Amino acid sequence: MKKFLNDPVNFVDEMLEGIYRAHPQVTFVAEDKRCMVTANPKTGKVGIATGGGSGHLPLFLGYVGDGMLDGAAVGGVFQSPSSEQMYQVTKAIDQGAGVLYIYGNYSGDIINFDMAAELADLDGIEVKQCVGNDDVASSKVGEEHKRRGVAGIYFVYKTAGAAAAEGLSLDEVHRVAEKARLRTRTMGVALSSCVVPEIGHATFSIGEDEMEIGMGIHGEPGISRKKLGTADAVIDEMMERIFVEQDYKSGDEVAVLINGLGGTPLEELYILFRRVAQLLEGRGIIAKHVWVGEFATSMEMAGASVSILHLDAELDRLVAAPANTPFFKHFSA
Amino acid sequence: MDAIKASDLIDLFDAWRQLFAEQREFLIALDGKVGDSDLGITMSKSFAAAAEAVAAEGEAAGIAKLLRTAGATMARTAPSTMGTLTATGFLRASKAVDTATSLGTAEMAAFWAAYRNGIAERGKAKVGDKTIVDVLDPAARMLEEQAAAGASLPVALAAAAATAEEALEKTKTMVAQHGKAAAFQEKTIGLQDAGATVGVLLLKKLSDFASA
Repeated sequence: MKKFLNDPVNFVDEMLEGIYRAHPQVTFVAEDKRCMVTANPKTGKVGIATGGGSGHLPLFLGYVGDGMLDGAAVGGVFQSPSSEQMYQVTKAIDQGAGVLYIYGNYSGDIINFDMAAELADLDGIEVKQCVGNDDVASSKVGEEHKRRGVAGIYFVYKTAGAAAAEGLSLDEVHRVAEKARLRTRTMGVALSSCVVPEIGHATFSIGEDEMEIGMGIHGEPGISRKKLGTADAVIDEMMERIFVEQDYKSGDEVAVLINGLGGTPLEELYILFRRVAQLLEGRGIIAKHVWVGEFATSMEMAGASVSILHLDAELDRLVAAPANTPFFKHFSA
Repeated sequence: MDAIKASDLIDLFDAWRQLFAEQREFLIALDGKVGDSDLGITMSKSFAAAAEAVAAEGEAAGIAKLLRTAGATMARTAPSTMGTLTATGFLRASKAVDTATSLGTAEMAAFWAAYRNGIAERGKAKVGDKTIVDVLDPAARMLEEQAAAGASLPVALAAAAATAEEALEKTKTMVAQHGKAAAFQEKTIGLQDAGATVGVLLLKKLSDFASA
């Protein structure tokens, strides 16, 4: 392991301390740094909270800010935050208009978010939930409820966050989130392992010349492990699995997210996007909005994922709306 | 006693607190066979916090409010799965006996049916999955039968506790489907489920308490 650390036990809390010192637009509640909220709350707005394990920056807390999320609870590396932490965030961000939870489909997160929602209900705070499950590789068609949430949750944050900023009701913001969730698909590929600081060695081993298609963002097994192909061949295989899942017609518009998993250079991500653009063009699909960078990582894992959001007029407007968070800035065109 | 009043409920939580303090090491060892050994810690911590919270709140709060305080306190103090599940049970029981001024056999049946439903729903467990639901379900059914037959509270709870103990024995033949134990699959056969053991301990102590 080659990492910048003090005591590995303090990895998460020292990371958080750095973030609070760098970005005064976020703060924390309940005297717990792991309960992040925006320092710039909007009166009367539907609150949006997320949460999950640490080790995925900019996910989750990097999206707390204007036009995106109002709060995030984070746990240890790859560990769920507690229901108490989620509840504290919920209480802090409720403006009387209710709170929407947007998080990934992992059993620990579900149980704790459900519990937090029940505690909030006792306080009279209405909570709705949207559980991201965009990872095509993690279960087959017909069993989408078993799929994990990965980088595509960014599109749900972006559209629901913009809807809440427009002043829509909790029901409406929830409807938008669900629509974005159902129209987003992600495929990932890993080239090397992540290292959890407190464990100190690779989570899994993979050969120098191998890749694993469909691996999860905590190193969950993927669909196939084989010799690493060319960038174009890798994208061709990944995009085929995405295309079959949605009814794309010539002239349809999409938003594209090319996400680096932490250990892959931006240059390579653009090489991957080049091929994605060619394939979309070949089908007459218009890449209306494109993001290339790190949005949901897995420590130092080398690899990438491609997320495609099938747009309609409403999602097109919302995905393009301005946002300003410590890790994500977007300006209206 | 014929019914558990608010003041008794505070004493009951204290009895449960003592029970899980005594059973801490036993539960750690039991859970350690196929889990992560934190069950004894979770239970002793969460019941200690709940007992303290209901005592601080006092009997004037009434049955439903005390149960709600116990559940909410547990949810906050014990972030592990089993703590969240038992917390859910008490929160749902609180709603089920919302207007009750004391818990007789009928209210106790409603209490445990809600407790079982809450845990099954939150943990997404069904009967046969080798969890606490496997003892709560037959115990709740027994309480409903006893209530229908007009049994007194001590008789009904004794029957429910006995049913739960028999049901715990049956979990030895089951294969774990949930939590860390699920990874052990066939190796869990022959072992009684740790969560189900918690359910039996809870019900037996309740039965003893009502008979005293």
